[in-house]
Amino acid sequence: MKPEFDEVSGQETTGHEWNGIKELNTPMPWAFRIWLWASIAVAALLWVLYPSFPSTSDYLKGTIGYSSREAVNLAVAEGEAKRAEAYTVFTETELDTLAEDPTLQAKFEDDIAVLYRDNCAVCHGRDLEGQTNFPNLVDDHWLWSGWPEEIEYTLQVGINSSHEDTRFAEMPAFGRNEMLPDEEISDIVEYVLSILGQEHDAEAALRGDELFLDNCSGCHAEGGVGGYETGAPSLADSQWIYGGSREEIAETLEVGRAGVMPAWSGRLSDSEIRQLTLYLIWQGREHGDS
Amino acid sequence: MEHAKLERNGIAFALAILGVASLGGLFEIAPLFTIENTVEEVEGMRPYTPLELAGRDIYVREGCYACHSQMIRTLRSDVDRYGHFSLAAESMYDHPHQWGSKRTGPDLARVGNKYSDTWHVAHLEAPREVVEGSVMPGYPFLSETRLNTKHLSGSLAALAAAGVPYTDEQIEWAARDAERQADPEAEYEFELYDLYGENLAVRDFDGNPNEVTEMDAIVAYLQMLGTLVDFDSIDQEEIAR
Repeated sequence: MKPEFDEVSGQETTGHEWNGIKELNTPMPWAFRIWLWASIAVAALLWVLYPSFPSTSDYLKGTIGYSSREAVNLAVAEGEAKRAEAYTVFTETELDTLAEDPTLQAKFEDDIAVLYRDNCAVCHGRDLEGQTNFPNLVDDHWLWSGWPEEIEYTLQVGINSSHEDTRFAEMPAFGRNEMLPDEEISDIVEYVLSILGQEHDAEAALRGDELFLDNCSGCHAEGGVGGYETGAPSLADSQWIYGGSREEIAETLEVGRAGVMPAWSGRLSDSEIRQLTLYLIWQGREHGDS
Repeated sequence: MEHAKLERNGIAFALAILGVASLGGLFEIAPLFTIENTVEEVEGMRPYTPLELAGRDIYVREGCYACHSQMIRTLRSDVDRYGHFSLAAESMYDHPHQWGSKRTGPDLARVGNKYSDTWHVAHLEAPREVVEGSVMPGYPFLSETRLNTKHLSGSLAALAAAGVPYTDEQIEWAARDAERQADPEAEYEFELYDLYGENLAVRDFDGNPNEVTEMDAIVAYLQMLGTLVDFDSIDQEEIAR
């Protein structure tokens, strides 16, 4: 068919006609065409340079040998090297010495606070004061003692965690497992209330004292002061993990407790665990001062 | 105009359309034929246990993937925050995978063992009670809903048909094994190890030993995410390709 040209614009028409109206056959603007072909050229170039398509036994690796996995490993290693340099003090100095160094806190506290909020705050709270089921970290009452190396060890292996060297502490379910009859449990509850001088039934507490000695003092020690060896909390301070009311103590005796602190070695580096240990010590001191 | 020739030749035009459209298919489908090259050979991967799988089904049912990804990308910021980048091998038994494309909440690919069961239960029941400023909805009904284990054999069988290496024994006893994994006494721990390997947790996950609930299942699932592959024993050369 012979091309037909519009008389006014001189442009070629499509050759179709609708009731006397004809459509101009206007080509795509040249700028778009250049863009289109340039895009195709870039795609082809990237195909050659970068890993692109699987083959039967391997894949096309591209000519510049790029691998996103190698690249990220390098970037992470570089970041680790920078941190190692900035934080050498934590890996090269004894923990006890670090804990006594007054200059570190001002210098590193803000950095470590980020680490704390990222990993610890969901349970222990942004203010480190804990919440039900999750202990307060700044009240200077410790389950496994407040010695820096003991805190660090807890962070590494956890408590009742899946780590092979985990610390282990379990409050048995005296009620549910029928280890003690209900009336003896309520006597023990009265005794525990009496330790702190809360409102209690004195006669029941007297009976509970003896029962406590037989059943509980192995971990919680005589008088319920707790023990760092067993990780059993003191019942003679005003700090409670699971609540200190009559009902809450009875519930603890009924169903038992075995709080889990996850193990962080493997997830966090040794240096990071040490930094968090110091952070707890610093925050505890500030809390004590205020 | 060159395309005028095509437009005026119906059969040639149809063939041209077919050619161009099949390119799209080629680029999407052809890689699937060589997927074995993509999946790394790593130690430790095993199919989900029935309880974990039930938890995974709840995860999908509740649309967790809409806000949580399970894909640590090969970016420094991702690896620094969440741990080793995700491997293809870690999703090889996922049908469908839960990589996701949106992070309103954090990535969950390695959340297993990061927090305690108690925290997961408290957090799922009432997120803002434990995490200030969280926008996650609460799922308190999971603790109150008994886990329906009837369909589990069917689920395992369906996955087996999709290529997950479940044995006939695993499929047949799926419902029983789900109950056994959430048993607070862990009475059948070793029977489960025999069936699924030793890298699995047998305990009461939801803090309620009297009943196996949906909460048991989803916490069992969350606590195993990213815990199967031992990255210390991995050949970085093989993985980094």
